[in-house]
Amino acid sequence: MFLAVTAASAAGWIVRDWGAEAGVSYAPPGFLGAQTRSSASVERDRGTAGKQDDYGIVDPLAPDLAEIAKTLSGRSSSQARAPTLAFGGDKWGRDVLKKAVKGTQTSLFVGLAAALLATFLGTLLGAQAGYYGGWVDDVLNWFYGVFTSIPYLLLVLAIAAVLNEKGATTVILILGLTGWTGIFRLVRAEYLKHRVREYVLAADAVGASGMRRMFVHILPNVSHVILVQLSLHVVAFIKLEVILSFLGFGVGVDTVSWGSMLAESATELLLGKWWQLAAATLAMALLVTAFSLFTDALRDALDPRLK
Amino acid sequence: MSLLQVGGLAVDFRVDAETTLHAVRGIGFEVPEQSSVALVGESGSGKSATALAIMGLLPRENSTASGRILYAGRDLMQAGRKEMRGLRGAQISMIFQEPMSSLNPVFSIGFQVGEVLREHRGLSRAASRQRAIELLGEVGLSDPATKVDAHPFQLSGGEQQRAMIAMAIACEPRLLIADEPTTALDVTVQKQILELLARLKAGRRMALLFITHDLSLVREIADHVVVMRDGEIREQGAAADLFRSPQDPYTQALLACRPTLAQRPRRLPVVEDFPASLSTQERTRGLTGEEEIILEARGLAKRYETKSVVKGASFRIARGKTLGLVGESGSGKTTIAMMLARLQPASGGEVRFGGRDALDVPRMEYKRRVQIVFQNPYGSLNPRFTVGRILTEPMLIHDLGAGEAGRRAAALELLRRVALPESAFFKYPHEFSGGQRQRIAIARALALRPELLICDEPVSALDVSIQAQLLNLLQDLQDEYRMSYLFISHDLAVVKYMADEVMVMKDGEIVETAGSDEIYARPRHPYTKLLLSSMPGQ
Amino acid sequence: MTAYVVRRVWQFFPTLGGVVLLVFFLFNWVGGDPAYLLVGKIPSPERIEEIRRGLGVDQPYVVQLWIFVKQIASADFGASWATNERVSHIFATRLGPSLTVLLPLLVVSTALSMVAAMLVAYVRGSLTDRAIMVGCTVGQSISILVYILALQYLLAYRLGWFPVQGWGSTLGENLWRYSALPILVGVIVSLAPDIRLYRSFFLDEINQDYVRTARAKGLGEGRVMGIHVLRNAAIPIVTNVMIQLPGLLAGAFLIERFFSIPGIGREVILAVERSDFPVIKAVTVYVAVATMAVNLAADLIYRTLDPRVRLD
Repeated sequence: MFLAVTAASAAGWIVRDWGAEAGVSYAPPGFLGAQTRSSASVERDRGTAGKQDDYGIVDPLAPDLAEIAKTLSGRSSSQARAPTLAFGGDKWGRDVLKKAVKGTQTSLFVGLAAALLATFLGTLLGAQAGYYGGWVDDVLNWFYGVFTSIPYLLLVLAIAAVLNEKGATTVILILGLTGWTGIFRLVRAEYLKHRVREYVLAADAVGASGMRRMFVHILPNVSHVILVQLSLHVVAFIKLEVILSFLGFGVGVDTVSWGSMLAESATELLLGKWWQLAAATLAMALLVTAFSLFTDALRDALDPRLK
Repeated sequence: MSLLQVGGLAVDFRVDAETTLHAVRGIGFEVPEQSSVALVGESGSGKSATALAIMGLLPRENSTASGRILYAGRDLMQAGRKEMRGLRGAQISMIFQEPMSSLNPVFSIGFQVGEVLREHRGLSRAASRQRAIELLGEVGLSDPATKVDAHPFQLSGGEQQRAMIAMAIACEPRLLIADEPTTALDVTVQKQILELLARLKAGRRMALLFITHDLSLVREIADHVVVMRDGEIREQGAAADLFRSPQDPYTQALLACRPTLAQRPRRLPVVEDFPASLSTQERTRGLTGEEEIILEARGLAKRYETKSVVKGASFRIARGKTLGLVGESGSGKTTIAMMLARLQPASGGEVRFGGRDALDVPRMEYKRRVQIVFQNPYGSLNPRFTVGRILTEPMLIHDLGAGEAGRRAAALELLRRVALPESAFFKYPHEFSGGQRQRIAIARALALRPELLICDEPVSALDVSIQAQLLNLLQDLQDEYRMSYLFISHDLAVVKYMADEVMVMKDGEIVETAGSDEIYARPRHPYTKLLLSSMPGQ
Repeated sequence: MTAYVVRRVWQFFPTLGGVVLLVFFLFNWVGGDPAYLLVGKIPSPERIEEIRRGLGVDQPYVVQLWIFVKQIASADFGASWATNERVSHIFATRLGPSLTVLLPLLVVSTALSMVAAMLVAYVRGSLTDRAIMVGCTVGQSISILVYILALQYLLAYRLGWFPVQGWGSTLGENLWRYSALPILVGVIVSLAPDIRLYRSFFLDEINQDYVRTARAKGLGEGRVMGIHVLRNAAIPIVTNVMIQLPGLLAGAFLIERFFSIPGIGREVILAVERSDFPVIKAVTVYVAVATMAVNLAADLIYRTLDPRVRLD
């Protein structure tokens, strides 16, 4: 079991590291790739060629434009344009592999931040509701009811539609401020359960205050539930961010996301170019699976019943 | 003529990759036809594992069993699954300790009783339902024609156990195994169930294998007794012989360390005292009427919307003395404990503490002077705190003890006082046994040097031999610190041993209060008499 | 029982009120001035004012809120900003197709996952169990988008087993021809999480004392699992299914969009993409009401299934 935890976390960490590292080295859209200017010299190697879409018409201005581009970007002309890339290139010749890896960084960042926000909110509100009961509980339950009456995806889309603003922060806020409901319900239930447990009564008997009982005594006994929920929500939010980016409501155009990769691959498929889809799917599957396995191992390791 | 012969039975449980628990280490005993054999042992003795092995119900994934179990000539250990299935419920039946959870909550008891008949006797739905009604009547359920359609949660504990018994005897088995069938029940109900079992055994010519931890229970019903400890048989023989002159020290200890109504030795003997001669010096108890009263309750009451749990209780607790509170489940005794500890608000009445109205005493001061020990040793300690933290927290909250070092020293002293090693300071509750956890709980209560200690069934969840140790500890502490105790229990013998004055509660009311010798010798209220007569061995 | 239902329905209103407030806050306040969105390429101040007046957004907020409430009560939300189709009409016509896909989807996926979960729970700890669990974990990590894209491409486009997208005119045609692939995709997507969840329900039951009693009665494993355990595990499973319903009611958005199924979900996605506020507002409010109704139904069914729970 311990090995599983280490393995899962190692897998998770490796992918994370990878994402961070590649992210740092990934230059802003350098538009590198197999962009050629005449159909004659286009490589059509099955499976690894970058896609290009001029129609064989020679562009008279191309050499001058290339000069200008070179000067502007300040890159040396020795920076070759590779005819093939490890995992292929996308429509603009960007390295799919690098995109997939960079997407990891985006997803992790957004997923983690949103999950932390949602968990913090859910725990705070859930503890208050579960512990104090009474009108506090009623009010918070009303809030919960309102937010959960609307199916989650619908709510997120509706907010996204209204805000009409892209960017990682927006996504994090949307996901975090709407995703606290699951955690709220669980934490509230846990606090209701623990509130009448004898060790809490005993704490009361020795004079501990309400706040003390809530956060010093009960919280450590509930932390395993919260941690597992955090982990689960990271996964869920990553998947949601992908969907949002796919639909165009997610992170901005200049940030890479698997969602946008998938969006591009929708049309690419029809042309027989499957590698961006494969790359995005593989990267996503790796990260999410690693995280899920990590969550499972976490749950088993923290389960107090096993003690 | 032997119905069941167990020989060389060993059962191992694989706890994890490294540890194996040897629950049963090669035992042998017999159950003669139509006899009643008691299998007695404390927790961890291996008695339940033995029963499950006989039934073939040991969990396949992590247990191994070896040996011989001969039933009517056939070795059950060699029998195939199908054959065992045919035997279970039809020839050998079993009933369990917790009837509420042992019955399927979503099916009616008629369905569940009838199921055995449909399975083994091929009866139709209608016929099995009819037979179920008859069986439910035979086991003493009132109004069986209606109850047959009831679901388990609609019945009381006693009724559920009767339903279980009906299920077990439906196909006229030759052997009935009862695994602690009355442990979870009130003492009055317990007596009824035992009588029922005895009656059924005689009437149906069935053999009974009765498993329990309470040796006094089997005095009445067993022909033969087998005493187990740590997976081995310590002693076995005819019941009469064993009770008259037990040979093994452990058996002697089991018999002696249980407080009885007849005597009140200064200290209860514990297992380690055997074999040895015991001092039979008696401890006197009782009130002279001139003691200082530290707490007085008048008309204390607790009402919920639907019912009144405590109806006007009045009593007085003297300094340095113990007031015993006896009652069965639902009598309201725990509620009184909660109210006195100020963990629940009272609905009515008055409590005077140290001359003042208890509610006028500031919360912190009251909690320092009045402490409580709970029943459940597994629930009253925060599983995420180390023992050291559990003990120093009260001091921290009340600002006692000279800084962290001072508190730590005080905590270590407390551990010493309750006979726990210093190393316990750094450990977590789950590393300790039930008895040890109760000691920690007592130490925690002691940390504030309270004047009144409320003990809510502090030893009920513990084995008999451990009970004796803890009762001795509590008494020593009272002698040393002159604390007053409110000692709550359902166990009459324990209360008589510990208390100077005893109150009996039923349905929220105190029905009788008297000095402890007096109340047991000359009980006045009918309920008190019923309680006393229901005790095993009376 | 009736008293209970009445009480619960009465409790709808505060929640509904909250939803209305939330939607209103979102769309009328945060959403900004819709006039600019609708006015087209060349905004002239008069045109903007005209639109504003038409929509009623030139009024103070309180009045706007009142208009909104009236709309809900009369179930008339005006017209879509994009297509000018009446919102109520949109609903009426789109509900059918949504259900044609969703109901079979629900039935098939629940049945399959229940059976699979029970079998997996029974062999808990074995290699099969762990393999399937890992399989489910991996399956869950792949976005629904990928399933849609990949399966659509492979099974429909390349192999031609199903139509790539579209919708027909008769129920039979819709059910068998056009819904087949969407239902298949939906089932595959929900299998993995459902199996994991239901497995945990089954495991909870398998460890209960009454299972030991059933075996002690000499019942065979088939009966123990299929009748005793199943009946108990069915309670949380059914509750879970009912809770999922409203989410499905909002239309399996993505599935409908990619398979061009003219259902509610597709409308919602289109509306979101086009910032078509009336449609989004209406859907949100309606689904909220539906959710509350379904939750109440789920509670009632739960109380029928589980005799321990009392109506109070």
